[in-house]
Formats: sequence, structure tokens, C-alpha cells
Amino acid sequence: MALAQRTRPDTPLAQAEPAREQIRVTVRNLDKRYGSGEAGVKAVDDVSFEVKQGEFVALLGPSGCGKSTILNMVAGLIPRSGGHIAIDADEVRHGDVNRKVGYVFQRDTVFPWRTVEANIGYGLEIAGVDKAERRAKVARAIETAGLGGFGAKFPRMLSGGMRQRVALMRTLIMEPEILLMDEPFGALDTHTKLEMHKTLLEIWERERQTVLFVTHDLGEALTLASRIILLSARPGRLKEDFEVPFARPRDAVALRESAEFGRLYSHIWHSLGEEFRRTKAE
Amino acid sequence: MKHSSAKVVAWQVAILVVVLSIWEWGWSLRAIAALKPLVPGILDPYFISKPSMIWTSFLKLSCLGDAAGFGACFARNDNNLWLALLVTLKNMWWGFVFGTVSGVACGLVLGRSDYLSRIFQPYVVAMNSIPRIALVPLIILMFGLGDMSKIVTAWIVVFFVVFFNTFEGTRAVDRDQIAAARLLGASEMTVLRTVVIPSALAWVFASLTPAVSFALIGVIVGEFIGAERGLGKLIIEAEARANAAEMMVAIFAMMVVGILLATIVRQLQSYLLRWQPQFEAQA
Repeated sequence: MALAQRTRPDTPLAQAEPAREQIRVTVRNLDKRYGSGEAGVKAVDDVSFEVKQGEFVALLGPSGCGKSTILNMVAGLIPRSGGHIAIDADEVRHGDVNRKVGYVFQRDTVFPWRTVEANIGYGLEIAGVDKAERRAKVARAIETAGLGGFGAKFPRMLSGGMRQRVALMRTLIMEPEILLMDEPFGALDTHTKLEMHKTLLEIWERERQTVLFVTHDLGEALTLASRIILLSARPGRLKEDFEVPFARPRDAVALRESAEFGRLYSHIWHSLGEEFRRTKAE
Repeated sequence: MKHSSAKVVAWQVAILVVVLSIWEWGWSLRAIAALKPLVPGILDPYFISKPSMIWTSFLKLSCLGDAAGFGACFARNDNNLWLALLVTLKNMWWGFVFGTVSGVACGLVLGRSDYLSRIFQPYVVAMNSIPRIALVPLIILMFGLGDMSKIVTAWIVVFFVVFFNTFEGTRAVDRDQIAAARLLGASEMTVLRTVVIPSALAWVFASLTPAVSFALIGVIVGEFIGAERGLGKLIIEAEARANAAEMMVAIFAMMVVGILLATIVRQLQSYLLRWQPQFEAQA
């Protein structure tokens, strides 16, 4: 298929190609409640899904449906109330960091006291990667992210979109096999968001990480993802799980203007719209 | 409206000249009968001396104008201005260093541990509600009239200022930044070194400028209550002789010390915190 041709032969994932159906993330009967007893609130209710090697899955749902909570439980950032989560064969435990996993936050988590270069090289630096190799990798990442000329600048001199590029590259430079993204472009304006989609598509279509991407933006999910998991309003339950049929490589702008995109958008919107109305009614 | 800096400097010089002139010659205006009621009693040189007299005292205390020569004068007077300054600075420095180091260390530890901060909270509040100056006689009783009691006084004064700021700064560290560092492979120690400390540094520095003044206050008060040497001792001795000019010399010396140290702290701050917008100009 067209996608596989774009995969560079020297990437490890190219060798893993036969194992394409390998399941990387398993979520089984996942529950999350905040508080206990009568006063407790159920945020996530019996959610199960799997993410296969090289899949780009969007977790889509209205605000407050618990999609970020699910992602944070997968990352081991918060404890779960019930169910199982596994990365490959390893059960995820709260507080443990899995080296295979990279995480991108919605909020700006770039370190303001580090320059762009030092931010992107952070993970390599603390892992003890030597300076020459680090510098080469950081330079490549800056190139990829379109941050040329900003390497020695401090984050405060950068726009929100550029800072989020720094955060993205800071995670990607560690070459995570599984990438968890929590509405990473949620705080950006429409135009900047589209630019970020282009960059992310370019990187992903080349490297094919396994991605779990949380968003409340249907257009974003359709543009980026290979598969969309639709969640209901609070408590988050699995509502629908479907493939996104658009061919790759995708052009973030052209895709949005296609008739097929519009049709699928409006079809899902009715399903999602129902959820939005339910959120408001509560 | 932006005023030119030359204009600002001109005003500053004008104010200085006016103040010094009134100080120097204001009292003499009482000789003119018509002006006598207009001259306030506070201008009496007995209380505030005069710039010219202060200068003379400065030359005397600093040994710079001594007939026997600088060396002989320096050796004769073991609390001359330079030695007094040196002793006060030295005690202030150690009080400042110990106070800052222990304040930052305790602030970081308690700031990072909910458990410990809950245990120590009432004790910290209790200790902090004691006016530090009230402890000085006790400290002199414990550590004697020498340098140690001054260092301890400055230490205690500095410690609390730095401790509280570091504690708050550590508490205010962005949790998502810590999580991001962890997810990039940082251990607890690495998080402390690469996220918590740089992030809390702004708070620590905010406390260092007042800490410098507090260290000076601590040492001077210690010297007032009981000391062998130092600028505070110089003032107390001058007071015993009702010599306002000598007191003024010591006060000006403290002023210069305060300005210099605050400038050094600010320079260091603007370098280390060059990532913050308010230090952009210096970066």
C-alpha cells in the first residue's frame, strides 16, 4: 500500500512491518470514579479498546467525557478505579514510567528556563547521551519542526504554536514507539492548528508511531487519525469505534475541502451532536 | 510620556545639592533674626551633624587624614572604619550564606513533601512569630560577644525569609512540567535539579534582596547589644560620646554596603533568570 512505501527502510518500524497487527495498547473494562460512595462521580465507565502497532487512534468525545482521564491512566499518570491497561504485555501501574511511551500535554509544559535546543534535548541530556550526538539529533528535530533559527531562543520569545512544536519534538526525539497526545493543539488558533496537523502528519506518515490522540475536535480527528473511538458524555462510555477511510499521505488542507470529508464529518456530527446536547442538559 | 534620562539625572543631582546645602548651612540661617523661626530644631548639628563634619570624621575614622600616616593610625585603632566594615561584612556574609543555604534546603525538602510540611507546619509558624530581634540578647548569651553571635543572628533572620520563599516557590512548581520531565525519563533527583530548582529560583531570588538587608540588620543589631568591633559598635561608641558625625559615617558606610550588595544580587538574578520576561533587557 501507498503508506508502507513511504516508510523509510532504515527505521526499526519498517522491520516490524509483518507484526503490523500486533496489539500495543490494551484497555479492558476500564473504570474511573472520583470520590467515593454517594458523593463519588463516575468519570469513565467500562471502556475497552485496543490499539495496534502503527495505528493512529483518536479518542474523540465532548468536553468532560473522561477521554483525557483515560489517556492519563494509560500513561500511568493517575490511578484507575478498575479494569486493566497494558502496554504490550506489561500491566500499566500508576507512577511507573514506560520508556516506550511518549506523552504530549495540552498545556504548555515547555521549560521556560531552557532554550529551545535545551528543551528538545532534555530527555537525551538526562539519559546521558553525549553532547555531539545530542546536538545532531536536536538540530534534526529543529529542522523537522520548522523551528530553524530559534534554537538558542528562550520559550517566552516563541508563539504558542511554536512552543507546542518544541514540546512535540522534546517528546519525539526520545523515539517513543507509542505516542500519547492529550489535545496537544487544543489551545491553538485554527490556522496554527492546521499547520501543526501538517507537521504531525508528515512526521507520523514517515515514522508510523503508534498514536493515541485525545481530542474534542471532530475535524482534527478525521484529518489525523486512522481510527476514531467515539466516547459518550460523562460518564465516558465507548459509543462507536470506526476506521477513517481517507488515503495516505494526507494533505491536512486539501482533505478538509474534499466532499468525502464533509460527508463523514456530518454523519459523525449527528452522533456526536447528540452527546453534546446531553452534556448541556445536565 | 517618556522623560529623557539626562533630565532625570539633573533632577536627582538638584535634589542632592539642595538637601546637602540645607544640611550644611541651614542651621547657620538662625543667625539672621528674621529667618530664625523658619529653621526647624531638627537641623541642629548636635543631632544630625553636618556634611563637612561628617567628612572630617570620615577622614579621621578611616585613617585617611591622619597626621601620623595611614599605617600607624590603622594599627592604633582596632575599630577603625575599615576594620569595622570588614568585621560587619564578614559576619553578614556568613550569616547570609548559612541562612540562604539552609533556607533553600529546608524550603525544598518541606516544599516537596506534603507529609513533612504538615508535621513541621505548627513549629514553623511558632518560630516565625517570634520577632527575630528579641532573640539577640539570648544569642549573645549563648555565643558571646564575638563574631559568632552576629553570624547566628543574621543567619536566623535570613533563614526565615529565604525558607518561606523557597517553600512557596517549590509548591508553585507546575505539576505538568514535573510530569513531563518524569515521562521523559527523569528520576526524582533529576526532577528536583532540572525542574523544581530552576522553577523555584525566581522565588528564591525574590527573597535574596531583602535577605541582604536583613543580614545587615541582624549583624548591626547584634553589634548594638554587645560586640567588640563592627559598624554597629562604632555607632554605639559614637553615641556614648554624643558624636553624631561619627554615627553618620557608619550609617553612610552601611548605605554603601547595602547598595553594592543589592546590585550584585540583582546582576546575578538577571543572569540566572534571563529566561523570564522582566529580565529581557539584560539577557
